[in-house]
Amino acid sequence: MAEVNYICKRTVVSTKPVQPGKSHPLSVLDRLVEPSRHVMVVYYYRTDRSRERLGEVTQKLREGLAEVLTYFPPVTGRLVRTESRGSGEGGWSVKCNDAGVRMVEARAKGSVEDWLRNVDWEKEKRLIHWEEMYHKPYFWSTFYVQLTEFEGGGYAIGLSCSHLLSDPICATVLIKAWADVTLRGKMTSPPLFHQLPAHRPGSRTPNKDPFINLCSQRPTSTNQSATSSASVHGKHKTISLSFSDQMVRSCVASAQAHAGGPSPSPFEALAGLIWAVVSKIKGRRDGLVGLTMGLDIRKLLGLDDGFFGNCMVYSQIQPNSEENCLLAAAMAIREEKAKFEKEKVMDLIEWLEDNDGSKPTQQTLACSDLLCLNLESIDPRWAIFEDGSSPIQTSLYIEPTCDRGQFLVLPSPSEDGPLSRTVMIKLPRDEADKLLEDDLILQFAPTVLMGV
Amino acid sequence: MSRPRTIYLVDHACFKPPFTCRVPFSTFMEHSRLILREAPDSVEFQMRLLGRSGLGEETCLPPAIHYIPPTPTLEAARREAEMVISSALDSLFKQTGLKAKDIDILIVNCSLFSPTPSLSAMVVNKYKLRSNIKSFNLSGMGCSAGLISISLAQDLLEVHSNSNAVVVSTEIITPNYYQGKDKDKLLPNCLFRMGGAAILLSNRWSDRWRAKYRLVHVVRTHRGSDNEAYKCVFEEQDGEGKVGISLSKDLMKIAGSALERNITTLGPLVLPVSEQVMFVLNMIGRKFLKRQWNAYMPNFKRAFEHFCIHAGGRAVIDVLQKRLDLSDEHVEASRMTLHRFGNTSSSSLWYELSYIEAKGRMKKGDRVWQIAFGSGFKCNSAVWKCNRRIKTTITNSPWSDCIDRYPIDVPKVPIL
Repeated sequence: MAEVNYICKRTVVSTKPVQPGKSHPLSVLDRLVEPSRHVMVVYYYRTDRSRERLGEVTQKLREGLAEVLTYFPPVTGRLVRTESRGSGEGGWSVKCNDAGVRMVEARAKGSVEDWLRNVDWEKEKRLIHWEEMYHKPYFWSTFYVQLTEFEGGGYAIGLSCSHLLSDPICATVLIKAWADVTLRGKMTSPPLFHQLPAHRPGSRTPNKDPFINLCSQRPTSTNQSATSSASVHGKHKTISLSFSDQMVRSCVASAQAHAGGPSPSPFEALAGLIWAVVSKIKGRRDGLVGLTMGLDIRKLLGLDDGFFGNCMVYSQIQPNSEENCLLAAAMAIREEKAKFEKEKVMDLIEWLEDNDGSKPTQQTLACSDLLCLNLESIDPRWAIFEDGSSPIQTSLYIEPTCDRGQFLVLPSPSEDGPLSRTVMIKLPRDEADKLLEDDLILQFAPTVLMGV
Repeated sequence: MSRPRTIYLVDHACFKPPFTCRVPFSTFMEHSRLILREAPDSVEFQMRLLGRSGLGEETCLPPAIHYIPPTPTLEAARREAEMVISSALDSLFKQTGLKAKDIDILIVNCSLFSPTPSLSAMVVNKYKLRSNIKSFNLSGMGCSAGLISISLAQDLLEVHSNSNAVVVSTEIITPNYYQGKDKDKLLPNCLFRMGGAAILLSNRWSDRWRAKYRLVHVVRTHRGSDNEAYKCVFEEQDGEGKVGISLSKDLMKIAGSALERNITTLGPLVLPVSEQVMFVLNMIGRKFLKRQWNAYMPNFKRAFEHFCIHAGGRAVIDVLQKRLDLSDEHVEASRMTLHRFGNTSSSSLWYELSYIEAKGRMKKGDRVWQIAFGSGFKCNSAVWKCNRRIKTTITNSPWSDCIDRYPIDVPKVPIL
C-alpha cells in the first residue's frame, strides 16, 4: 500500500490584507445546513517527473492559492455567532478576519497511476485534510487544502470545506478561480458574495405554504448518532462508476417512456438507474425506496457562475409507482424536477427568511432516505492548473454519509463526450458489493474507478 | 595630519519580502493558540502586545515560522538568510552597476544567526567574490549593529584608498522565534519581522557625483558598563529550556539615558552654536549652580531635515518623538516602516531612508540623522548629507507598490 508522508501543516493567507470590519452573512440556505457536514474533493493529475522536480508544483499551487484568496474574504474568515432572535443560540455568520486557510503538504510513494489502480475511500481520506469544528470556532479554519506529490509522478489536490459556507459546486468555484490564477494570472468568473435573490417588496404573499416536501440537510436528532456511528465504523463503502458518453446515451434511451416522447436528461436516467438498482438491493421488490434529491438552483435563480454559498434545494420523493425499474424511477425524478420553478423556489427562500428565528424542526432530512445530488454543473475543465494538464480523475464526498446511502452524479473528466458521467455511490458494505454485480448496471458497462 | 577621506554612500537596497510570507494578526493569534495550548494567558498577553505594537497586516515572517508547529531548523535559517541577503544584493548590483568582482570590503551583520561558515562567507561563495576580499562578519551586536558596520566600513575606507565597501545588515528570524510562555520574552515574537538591506559605500573620487549621500559623522555610545543597561535585552533560557530574549521593564528609561549620552557627543558636532550655548548654560546651571531647571534638550530640528529612528517598537518611537520634540512628519518614516515591515532590526533604518526618498522629500543638501538602539545597551548615530538630487522613481524601492497608501493613522488597538 502506498505510503503518504506528511511534510508540514501551515496557514496560507491572501497576498493582500482584507479590509477590516468586513463580514459575510450566511444565507438562509447556508444556515439550513447541519454544521458538521463538510464537502471533500480530490483531483488527480499527471506530471512528467523528468521535467518538474519534487516540490515545484506544490510551491506554484501554494502561491496561486495565496493570490486567489485575496478575492475570497469569506474563505479566509472565521465563523461567529450572530445575536439570537429567539431563545437559544444565534445563527452563524463569517467574520472576514484575514486568518487564512490551513494547508498540509505531503508526499506519496509510487506514481499517481499506481495509486489510482486500487484506490478506495480509506486511501483517499489520506489525501484530504479535515478538522472537526473546534470548541471555539473562531480559531477554526473552514477550508483545508492538502497537496500531495507522488514521487513517481503526478499529484493530488484535496480540498475540504464546511458545508455551512459552501456546497460542492461552490467549492469548485474556488478551485476554478485558483486554477485560473495559477495558470493564467486572472479569473474568468470572479466570485460574487451577495444575498440570494428575493421577490420585490410588495409582491410577497405572507404565510404562503412553502414548497412541498422541502427539507433541510439536518438529520433528525434520533438518527444523528446513527449516522455518525455508521461513518465511524466504516460500514459504508464507496463505489465510483464512470459511464461513457455512449453508455449514457443508451441509458437515456432506456429511460425514455416512448419513442418520440420527451427525452430524459443524463441525470434523470442515471439517477433513475441507481435508484432502481439500490431499491432492489435494499429488498424492495415492488416500488422504490424513498429518495431525497438535491438540485443546484443557480441557473434557475439566474445567478452568475461565481456565486458563492449554498445554492442547493432538496426534495423528498415518495414515488407512487409500484414498479421497480429504470423507467419508473427516471419518470419520478423528472416529475419532481419539473416542480422546481423559479417562483416556487423564491417563495421557499422567503418563507425560510421569515421563519429564520425558530429551528425548523419539521424540516429535517429523514435519514431513512437515500440521498442523491445532481452535480452536473461542475465542469471538470475548471480544474486545470497547468497547461494541457486536465485532472485524470475526480472524487467528491459529502460527509458524514447518510445511513441509507447517497450518490452523486458528476460530469466525467475524460475527453469521451459531453454526456459522460461519473457517479460516486456510498452504500452499506454488503449492498455496495451487490451493486457491482447487478445486471442492470452491467448492461451499461461502467468502468469501475473505485470499489473493486 | 592628513584630512579624513570622504566616505560616500553610493546607493542602498532593501529586501522586499514576498507576499506569501505575510502574517495577519488573526493568523498570528491562531498559531499562538495552537502552539501555546497550555498557556492561554500567555496567548492573551501576546495578543495585547501585538495590538499595541504599531505593526500592520502586511509584515512578514519566514516560511519556517508559518508551519504549525514552527520548524526552525538550521537549513531553514540558511534558506532565509540566502533569500534575504541575495535579494538585497541583487537589487544593489542592479541599481549601482556594481560587479561582484569589484567589491573590496564586505561587512555582514546579523545578530542572532551565526553559522559556520559565516554569512559573509556565504556571500563570497554565492557571488564568487575575489580571494583577497576583506570580509567581516559581525554577530551578537543587536539592532544597532547596522551603524557599527557603517562605522567599521568608514574606518577601513580611511585606511584603504580607492576602495568600496558593501555592508549587508539583516536579522534572521527563523532560529529566534520564542516558543515558550514567559511573558517577558514574548514581545520580540510580536515585533521582529523579515528584512534586510545592502549598502554600497565608497571613497573613490569617481563616485562623488553619483553617490546619494556623504557620511558626515558616526557616534557610538555603549552603556554596557552599567549592569542594568547590560542586562536589559538579554538572551536566556526559560524554565523549560527554551531560548528567548527577555526585555526589561526599564528598557525605555535605559534607551532614554543612552540617547542623552549619545547626544552629548553628537550635539557639538552638528548643532548650531546658539543651541550649544543654551545646552552648556543649562548644564552649568543645573550641575554647578544647583538650579532646579529641566534638562535642556537642544533643538535638533535645526540640525537635521530628516530623522530615521530605529523602528524598534511603538514605544521607542513615542519616547524619542517626545524627548527630541519632533513633529509627526519627522517620525513618519519610522512609524510607517514599523507598520509596513515591522521591526527588521539593523536594516530598519534603510527602509526608513527609502521611505523618505520614495515620498520625494529628500533634497540635495538635506541632513539625515539615523539613530539605532540595541542590546548591550548601545545607542549609535550616523549623520549623512544628501549629495545630489534624488529622483522620486520608486521602481527599486521596497515601498514601490504601497507608498501611495502612506502615511496612515495607526490605531492604538486594531480591530481583531
